[in-house]
Amino acid sequence: MARRAPSGKSPATWGTVTLLMAVAIIGTLWVPVYARSLPKLSDFPFFYWYQLIWVPLTAVICWVCYLLLRTKPTRGARK
Amino acid sequence: MSHLNAVTFVIVVASFLTVTIVGFASARWRPAEDPMHLNEWGLGGRGFGTFVSWFLLGGDIYTAYTFIAVPALVYAGGAAGFYALSYTIMVFPIVFIFAPRLWSVARARGYVSPGEFVRGRHGSQGLGLAVAATGILATMPYIALQLVGIESVLTVVGIGSNTGNALVRDLPLIIAFAVVAAYTYLAGLRAPALIAFVKDILIYLTVIVAIAYIPGRLGGWGHIFSVSSAHLKTVNPATGKPFGSIVVLPAGEWAYASLALGSALALFVYPHAVTGVFAARRRDVIRRNAAMLPAYSLVLGLIALFGYMARAVPAVNADVKADGGNPQLSVPLLFAHMFPSWFAGVGDAAIVIGALVPAAVMSIAAANLFTRTIYRELISPYATPAQETRVARLASLVMKVGALGFALELNKTFSINLQLLGGIWILQTFPAVVVSLYTRWFHRYALIAGWAAGMTYGTVQAYRTSGGGQAHFGASAAPVFGHVTYIAIAALIVNLVVTAALTPLFRTIGLQDGYDETRPADYTADPVTVPAAAPRPKAPAM
Repeated sequence: MARRAPSGKSPATWGTVTLLMAVAIIGTLWVPVYARSLPKLSDFPFFYWYQLIWVPLTAVICWVCYLLLRTKPTRGARK
Repeated sequence: MSHLNAVTFVIVVASFLTVTIVGFASARWRPAEDPMHLNEWGLGGRGFGTFVSWFLLGGDIYTAYTFIAVPALVYAGGAAGFYALSYTIMVFPIVFIFAPRLWSVARARGYVSPGEFVRGRHGSQGLGLAVAATGILATMPYIALQLVGIESVLTVVGIGSNTGNALVRDLPLIIAFAVVAAYTYLAGLRAPALIAFVKDILIYLTVIVAIAYIPGRLGGWGHIFSVSSAHLKTVNPATGKPFGSIVVLPAGEWAYASLALGSALALFVYPHAVTGVFAARRRDVIRRNAAMLPAYSLVLGLIALFGYMARAVPAVNADVKADGGNPQLSVPLLFAHMFPSWFAGVGDAAIVIGALVPAAVMSIAAANLFTRTIYRELISPYATPAQETRVARLASLVMKVGALGFALELNKTFSINLQLLGGIWILQTFPAVVVSLYTRWFHRYALIAGWAAGMTYGTVQAYRTSGGGQAHFGASAAPVFGHVTYIAIAALIVNLVVTAALTPLFRTIGLQDGYDETRPADYTADPVTVPAAAPRPKAPAM
């Protein structure tokens, strides 16, 4: 039968996850922050390298949130 | 480009034959006890772990749009086209938030498509139908876009172009598509899942080599950016304004942000993305993939930069002009002029296979929607799983023929715009699909009214928008209160306002809420076993 994952994570955990997710979304949603060409990173205008750096940043944020929300396998669960 | 490059052509054909063999062989991959069940044909047995899901989702959501349309935008208009990178960055936090709930309720209740969830959640057949019809409608031009991507490769390789005879010109495309239709029919979701491995190897190989090799040949990134910047500053004779800019201008910021956000919200309500999510084995697979899929976003960002590289190659510019100024040829032309013939073939094969995988998943997703939400609800309520699977197989063929019609009948710019229109449409199912994961506060009839209002507003606005030499459906962003905004976002706001306003009204006048067949625990369920079959709801659906 269906096994239910316990959803009981503390409000602090959910708060942290919500905050991190908001940061990850706003990071590139707020265009005026990065719509500029300086400072350059080697030959790349700021506009480009800022967004490219957000790619791994988002990945790390999602991974941290995954670890925060991960539920340990319940007793008796098999792989 | 009118002459056939034999080496490139042979590599592309050989790659196509390889994935054809993989496609047919995939029917025997992870064999099912009962292959004639929609969980098997339509969702590959709902058993894909993190590794396979990563390839399948990546192969599914990064399409010809990524490889052809986005660099074409950057080639033609500069920074404005980069919204696609921003979009694929913010899409994963969004997926991380709601997709696990959608996966859980679908797994617990045996749903194979978003339409079924909406029908079950609100006890409303009408709302389920609206979601299903929107999904099918929005998917058709998206598949057509994949064909346009394949077409641009064929044009550059030297087949399928410059022939007066329409049948001869389109024959390679028709043959390729017929072959894909055949193995999708046979193997279902297993075929694109397995082919996605081939696709990704070719894509990553091409991108890594291109990034390492081409800028050096062109005199470095500094030169590439300065050539592009100089071009973008020149005035476009058609509009009397510059072609674009190397950094988004203040006037374009709102459009940039709304296009990114709108596309990100829309992506995972598209049926093909939902299908990829539902095929996962466990709930955690989705969250892990939200952290691992950005690897593809990096690839998308680098491919977008191909647009600037192409601009820095005079021969590419000349060939684009010679073909009537079609910027969608810029990436295949970049390969043709910068790589030796054999590696240009690898790059072209990557684009072709990169378009075939999503085309297959999209037709399966639309078939799942049709079968469960339209066929089973309206035509044959007591269909057996085997009958459902047969119907879905046929529906996938119909979807492909329809998309082929789109691609052959309409001109290329138009089908890109239809895809943007698809984004406007699919986003109107967001309140019914995503908001309903959290609350049933919205009344079912209010959701239908909001959906209708959003669809109407979005379609009318898109129709009234001119651009690219077309009077109608010319662009996907239009001025709203003085800001140029992605129409999908404006329509979603209309949709939500109507839904929120009508909900209390409908409750006040005593319109009944539907029966909710889901239970709160369903949304966090993480069942180990696959549900055998979707049971019919006991209460008659309204």
